[in-house]
Amino acid sequence: MLDGIKAIAKGLGTTFKALTEPRDTYPYPEKRREYSPRYRGKHMLAKDADGHELCVGCGLCEAVCPAHAIRVVAAEAPSDKPVSWTNRYSIDYEVDLIRCIFCGMCEEACPTNAVRLTPFNELAAYDREAMIADKEELLRPAIRK
Amino acid sequence: MIRLTIDGQEVSVPEGTMIADAAAKLGIDVPVYCYHEALGPLGACRMCLVQVEKMPKLATACTTAVSEGMVVHTSNPQVDKGRKGVLEFLLINHPLDCPVCDKGGECFLQDYTFQYGPPAGRFQEPKIQKVKDGPINEFVLVDQERCVLCQRCVRYMGEYVGEPQLLLEGRGVETVVTTVDGQPATSQFAGNVIDLCPVGALLSVPYHHKARPWNIERQESICTLCPVGCTTLATGRDGHVVRVEGRPVPDYSWGWLCDRGRFGFDFAVNPARVTASWLDGHEEAAARTTRQVGQWLSQVAQEQGGDHIAMVVGGLHSTEEAYQLKRFAEDVLKTRRLAVSRDVPGYLPRALNGTFADLDAADAVVLIGSDPYDAVPVVHLRLRDRKRHAPSTQIWGVAPRNLHRETLPVNTLVTHAGFEAAVMAAALKRVAGTHEAVARLTADLVDSVEADPAQLEALGQELISSQHLTLLWDGQESDVESVLVALATVRGDKPTRVLPTWGPSNWRGFERAGFSARIEDLTRILEDARDGKIAMLMLFGADLLREYPDQELVRQAYDKVPFLIAEGLFPPMDAERFRAILPQAGPSEVYGTYVNMEGRLQVASPSVQPPGQARPVKSYITAWAHALKTSFTLPEDWDPYDDESGDLVPAEPMPTAVRAVSMPVQEAGELELVTGPLVVEDGIPSDILKPRIPEYPGRLSPEDAARMGIENHGLVRLTRQGQSIEVAVAVDAAMTPGRIFVPLGMVQSPVNKIGSGVVEAVRLEEVHSA
Ligand code: SF4
Ligand code: SF4
Ligand code: SF4
Ligand code: SF4
Ligand code: FES
Repeated sequence: MLDGIKAIAKGLGTTFKALTEPRDTYPYPEKRREYSPRYRGKHMLAKDADGHELCVGCGLCEAVCPAHAIRVVAAEAPSDKPVSWTNRYSIDYEVDLIRCIFCGMCEEACPTNAVRLTPFNELAAYDREAMIADKEELLRPAIRK
Repeated sequence: MIRLTIDGQEVSVPEGTMIADAAAKLGIDVPVYCYHEALGPLGACRMCLVQVEKMPKLATACTTAVSEGMVVHTSNPQVDKGRKGVLEFLLINHPLDCPVCDKGGECFLQDYTFQYGPPAGRFQEPKIQKVKDGPINEFVLVDQERCVLCQRCVRYMGEYVGEPQLLLEGRGVETVVTTVDGQPATSQFAGNVIDLCPVGALLSVPYHHKARPWNIERQESICTLCPVGCTTLATGRDGHVVRVEGRPVPDYSWGWLCDRGRFGFDFAVNPARVTASWLDGHEEAAARTTRQVGQWLSQVAQEQGGDHIAMVVGGLHSTEEAYQLKRFAEDVLKTRRLAVSRDVPGYLPRALNGTFADLDAADAVVLIGSDPYDAVPVVHLRLRDRKRHAPSTQIWGVAPRNLHRETLPVNTLVTHAGFEAAVMAAALKRVAGTHEAVARLTADLVDSVEADPAQLEALGQELISSQHLTLLWDGQESDVESVLVALATVRGDKPTRVLPTWGPSNWRGFERAGFSARIEDLTRILEDARDGKIAMLMLFGADLLREYPDQELVRQAYDKVPFLIAEGLFPPMDAERFRAILPQAGPSEVYGTYVNMEGRLQVASPSVQPPGQARPVKSYITAWAHALKTSFTLPEDWDPYDDESGDLVPAEPMPTAVRAVSMPVQEAGELELVTGPLVVEDGIPSDILKPRIPEYPGRLSPEDAARMGIENHGLVRLTRQGQSIEVAVAVDAAMTPGRIFVPLGMVQSPVNKIGSGVVEAVRLEEVHSA
């Protein structure tokens, strides 16, 4: 009987001690952790200083992706309305964020440094469709609020 | 045979073989740019350096012939250093814009640099800038910066095709590939330079910036747009064919294509294509139309009997599909009214059918009516190649117009329209008149065949005495069949081989499947239809109004048939008369075997899905069998290949019966209409090819044009036996005076409405819509 009370007191003692210790968890989303700038999260497509897209639709990211998460369709831009910095551009660019394993190989393969992995990692949606990031979405990199 | 050692392996090859080919025989890869077996050695690029023992310097494997006891090393420090050096030089001015280059991923400069090249170049100066994406013609782009100056393209056009429309301009590092006088290259073989160029300097316009080797479906296929049946690779991406390339097959073909086959693939996505269906004039879901046709079939079969249903197959259907139709017709419908759609009356017995190897072996070639450049383009190339390698090869023509071309000299005996068989028979009579077969052949021939006796004699001699005779025949005169049989009989053991140049391209395949390809059977169906004996006429890929030689008979037949049904890629002519039109799945959309003019079976694999509601024939058949309440199941295991004959359709015994050639009557008149196929105008639309499709497809000699007051081109009305057609004609200096050429099968100028022969021609004012 006495042993039992001792054991309970010891257990509760640990509990009360832990209450006053500093916390390891964050009250997400009220408070958010700072990640390393090299963290590999959601992709973005970059533009140059003149506002031209850097992506030329070469498809190397698509070729290198181990998860087959990327789809690129290239096209020729009309000479008076360039989209990228050259006459070839990607008319369609999709990343399936469910398939992606965030290995960063696409970023490494890109010869124009157009596709980049941002630290943004708040990826959630109600359906799978919504997890496919299209070009529009990737051109406006997501920012954590 | 010469024995030599390459990388420690011994090989014996015939004398005169180049080291590069001997190495290839051992499976050793020697990198090459300028060398191509069809073009012969040149030694321009230095990529193929190898070390030959006892030679002081590295040697080029593509220009050094083997010699007895030679010891060759294709890979050692010295060779590697040589290759590194060559590649570093090639890359000095190379833009290295692989990310925007269509060749990226399938480029020999990438591959060889990766395999043998230096890790970095030492050249720091700015690179020379040249033309990028400049036009060669409507279909080919040139990026001069990427060119490695191998000259394959220039030599191909100049030497192989004989239309020297590309050249090298400038000197040293400033050398560029360009067109003569900056004019677009007009040759129909220009597209082949895209396949030939080892780097991304010559590019396809329709494929420009379209895809990469890793995101396409590339399948072995067959071009079915003419009877040659060239071997192709069809590239599909996102459900559409986006490119067609030539596919070399060792010891069979170099993989050349004509521009019709290379760029005409977009018929599959043409807006005119049937992708849903029509039922009594309104658009309807294909499944519903299929059910309705099934009900009609069962109604006709019950009320009148299955024999009141007739089936005609044509177009781009595969041999398997024809076989399924035939089984359905015989096992379920119990009709024997089956025929192949034909646009010329001739028929060639299987036993006389030659192969392309007969062109390569021939010492005499006779073109009966056929202009290979227009009708079977790649055969024209093959013939030219034969003539280049064996200049003594005699090429004769017997045709109602001169077949001579700059690229292929043809000694043409120009006949009147309809006189080819008579002239050939007369020529035979002169040299072998006593032979029984010739006597029978010429029984009805009166000696008034208008031709130069010396020429007739010479032709006759050629026909009889050549060692290997190969003939091309356009099928316009059915009597020629008899002439050919007699000729083969007279020649006995010496090969007499014939290549038929008419469509539909797979007619021999339809025959293999059990359809009769003789026009008499088709005519009988049409006559029975006209006489009200046919309740339902089903056309599979066939467009009889456009194709059958007598348009009037087809009209009368259509008038009398209550149920006209069509299945095809495009709506048939007079589509509004059809009760139902169903969509067809084409080549590259379904697996199929096609038989070309050699009688060779070739398989085409699908690279895309059929568009819209188009389905293979068997899904219609299954639905109809169901409507007819039968338990018919399609035989899945039929194989068009034969155990004995390999990839050729089975051999048949040589026919011996010779019919007498009937003596044609020469009508009086100044101008004769002659016709023949023109592949770019074969009725299958293509938006990509539009700039090549002649606005004025008819051809007229300058003399006749001057007489009619036509300057360069104009519109004429041709009248014959009370019927007339209007044709847009261009003046063609190569055209024989007294003849006007109008291609077969043009909807706006249907030759089959008036037939060939003497015509009344009137010039019309052209109305230009603003
Ligand atoms: S990060 Fe890796 S898995 Fe994700 S898209 Fe890029 S290459 Fe593919
Ligand atoms: S030709 Fe080859 S090496 Fe040159 S840019 Fe094109 S892909 Fe790259
Ligand atoms: S364009 Fe291509 S084929 Fe022609 S010379 Fe240059 S590299 Fe050779
Ligand atoms: S020659 Fe005939 S089969 Fe060959 S590519 Fe041209 S159209 Fe097609
Ligand atoms: S391939 Fe031998 S020199 Fe070009």
